Amino acid sequence: MEGLNHVEDHPEQLVCVWFQLVSSRHHSSCRQIFPGLRQYIVYWIQFGRRVIKSSYLTFSTWRDSVTAPVISEPVNRTPSAMEVVQKEHSRLLKRTEGSQGIRNVQSAIDLLQSARDAIAADPSGASATLATLQTSVKSSFDSINDSLKETHSGLNKYTKSLDKLFKDRPLPSTDDDGLSAQEHLINRAIAMHLLREGQFGVAATFLSEIAEQKTINPVSPNGRGPASTSTSLLDIDEVPSTEIRKQFASMYYILQQLQENKNLLPAIEWSRENRESLEARGSNLEFELCRLQYVWLYHGGANSQGTTSGWQAALEYARREFHVFVPRYLREVQQLVGAMAYSPNLGGSPYAALFNNTSAWDDVAHFFTREFCSLLGLSADSPLYIAATAGAIALPTLLKLQTIMKSKRTEWTSENELPVEIPLPPQYLFHSIFVCPVSKEQATDENPPMMMPCGHVIANESLKRLGKGNRFKCPYCPSESHPKDARKVFL
Amino acid sequence: MAAELTSTKLNPESHIILDQPLLRLPHELARRNFKTVQRAVEREKEYVIPALKETAAASLSNTQTPDQTLAALDAMISRMQGLKRKMESLQEEEKKIHNQSRKRIQHLEALHKIPSLADVKYDQWSRVRLDRLLVDHMLRSGYSESAKQLAQDRGIEDLVDLGVFTQCQRVVESLRRGETKEALQWCGENKAALKKSQHNLEFELRLQQYIEMVRTQDKSKKIEAIIHAKKYLIPNHQSQNSEIMRAAGLLVFTQDTRAEPYKSLFALDRWRTLSNLFIQTHHELLSLPSQPLLHIALSAGLSALKTPLCHSAYTSSSSNSQSTSTSVCPICSTELNELARKMPYAHHSKSYVESDPIVLPNGRVYGKQRLIDISRKMGSVDSGDVKDPTTGEVYHEDEMKKVYIM
Repeated sequence: MEGLNHVEDHPEQLVCVWFQLVSSRHHSSCRQIFPGLRQYIVYWIQFGRRVIKSSYLTFSTWRDSVTAPVISEPVNRTPSAMEVVQKEHSRLLKRTEGSQGIRNVQSAIDLLQSARDAIAADPSGASATLATLQTSVKSSFDSINDSLKETHSGLNKYTKSLDKLFKDRPLPSTDDDGLSAQEHLINRAIAMHLLREGQFGVAATFLSEIAEQKTINPVSPNGRGPASTSTSLLDIDEVPSTEIRKQFASMYYILQQLQENKNLLPAIEWSRENRESLEARGSNLEFELCRLQYVWLYHGGANSQGTTSGWQAALEYARREFHVFVPRYLREVQQLVGAMAYSPNLGGSPYAALFNNTSAWDDVAHFFTREFCSLLGLSADSPLYIAATAGAIALPTLLKLQTIMKSKRTEWTSENELPVEIPLPPQYLFHSIFVCPVSKEQATDENPPMMMPCGHVIANESLKRLGKGNRFKCPYCPSESHPKDARKVFL
Repeated sequence: MAAELTSTKLNPESHIILDQPLLRLPHELARRNFKTVQRAVEREKEYVIPALKETAAASLSNTQTPDQTLAALDAMISRMQGLKRKMESLQEEEKKIHNQSRKRIQHLEALHKIPSLADVKYDQWSRVRLDRLLVDHMLRSGYSESAKQLAQDRGIEDLVDLGVFTQCQRVVESLRRGETKEALQWCGENKAALKKSQHNLEFELRLQQYIEMVRTQDKSKKIEAIIHAKKYLIPNHQSQNSEIMRAAGLLVFTQDTRAEPYKSLFALDRWRTLSNLFIQTHHELLSLPSQPLLHIALSAGLSALKTPLCHSAYTSSSSNSQSTSTSVCPICSTELNELARKMPYAHHSKSYVESDPIVLPNGRVYGKQRLIDISRKMGSVDSGDVKDPTTGEVYHEDEMKKVYIM
């Protein structure tokens, strides 16, 4: 089934998957698993690639309908470790709920009580009553212990299932992770994270607890210079608590107005105040906001019924506000205003997409957050979130590495660089990366990328090694040049 | 080394490395709870059955009045009722723990239903995980109020261990104040489990009590110290012989001595060592990692994201806050920049640049189309010109030169 995940983009692969399955030993099972697939392929062969492309949606829905039952179908599949854990645990839970232990204790109490009553009523039969009482109380205790044993074995089974789930996956033993000594920086990052997530209450508590603890334990004698600690701790007091906190509070106010009340005015006001810096960044946030405001007015504004007066309000708004944008966004403004000619049948006009963009509000909110954070020199998504997520993705690879290195007793040579490549999702790549095609090393400040006159780029050290001060041939094209003709480039 | 540069594959089984304590801890608590039940039952059994036998024998040999028999039975009944009450409350506790475990299992199972790392659901799941890691970090650092508030705000109380850590923190604080009572009580509650531990927390606590008695230099206190040592320290002579000798030697020194090792035995800093030892023992007993999980995740994540450009003296063209079409790299962002300084950067075996790269006369490399787009959006750039978004220099489009990066 692996192959099917990518079939969407390349329908022809579908045929390959099919032929593989048919010719493999799993012929009969594949007929069960893929009912209708054959038909689909016949269809594909008959009508060719273009048809499939146009019926793309049909294919996706078809695939989902086919793959879904396969996952749940119990074709002699060994349950995954997680499922075993789940099963053992629900057994444990059931056993606890139906526990006999307390009932057995109660029955022992009942026995004792009735014996007592019997003796009180007739003291002469005491010894006989007590003799039978002994055996029955003993058996009560035995059954208590039996039920305990049962619970115990349930607990043990659950332990085993957990062991299996986490088998070979111990938590990394980081004796010195280099982070413990920088507690204050972590705390600062957390405070910033809480602020940018809008958790102002938690952030306030957190900062006051840090301050409190600092007064109790002024300087921990960990060999750290007290001077450096105090300056960086000052940092944490100043950065998140005053200026940044105010900034984030206003960001949250604006976002809240934007998302919950569809009120763009605070955002527009902010973008006006920061017009200069936004323009320097090449940001068209202000225009995007005003454009959305225009569209929103056209759709009726706050009372989203009366579309008849909507276009008037929109035009009024355009007349008042858009003149600022005309020099730079002439075409867009023309489109927006020109679209009014089609009102009220705008849906059928070429401008329909401009006015019916369902994700427009989310996009603008996202855009605003990004611009706001960028002006503060911060990334749009919480760095702490990205780093922790990337860490969780990287951990399996790093752990494997740790075990291999331990068993081979080797260490990697470059301590500045991780020894393995860790594939992260594409949105986690933030910088361009230059790896010298000659030395296979990543460029650094000490070993920057150099462009030869032919336009090929190699690292500075490779350049020196190849050229040795003389003219040399580029390793990738026939042109020759002198090392001193190469120029440093910035990625 | 032809590893993929990027991947959105999600392997749930190996993805939950960080989440071991999530299931281990409540399980450890459930086991402890069970052992308490077991011990309670055993204790009552050992009392009731011999007592019953005795009463029966006495009754048979007529050495007991009926009233005495009744009294003995009453005593048994009340003890059994006590047992029942105890078991009931422990069962409540057990149910609570199991329900918590169930919620945690459901949380981890949710990950198995997420198709890839690019899925929106993964994003949500990962945010919950970050909140868990933050609460864990706050609890370990002693910021209990913040932890509680965050857990409540995010509705993840069942996924974090507020109770366990708060209790731990209470003992730690009492030790820092110079009190051994709560720590010793904890040792008493976990006696059986502590036998397996390699650290002798209880011995160290008793030794501290002894040191405090000697510190007073009061004669009667010193005698009390000797009695205390006989009772609590000497029984450990097999494993802690040298420590006991040292403790004996301590009797002739005062706390301002400069002679080692007595000086460090008297040192007030020993309380901090004790509280650290307590934390270590406590975490070990509950299979909690000694490092905050956040540290583990961050040290891996910072390295995986870091590039040589993040701490470069030159502003990167590909990701900086001055340009609108790129997002600021999290390592370059002020929150994490300093933290990541000492971390190794990620390994890459292939270059990764924007498509159709060009170089400007100042040496800066950009994707051609992106540069043109940015310049169009920026004010004060004439058509046919491009503006370097990093430095603000303006060039003519003809000055862009194709660059080949392999």
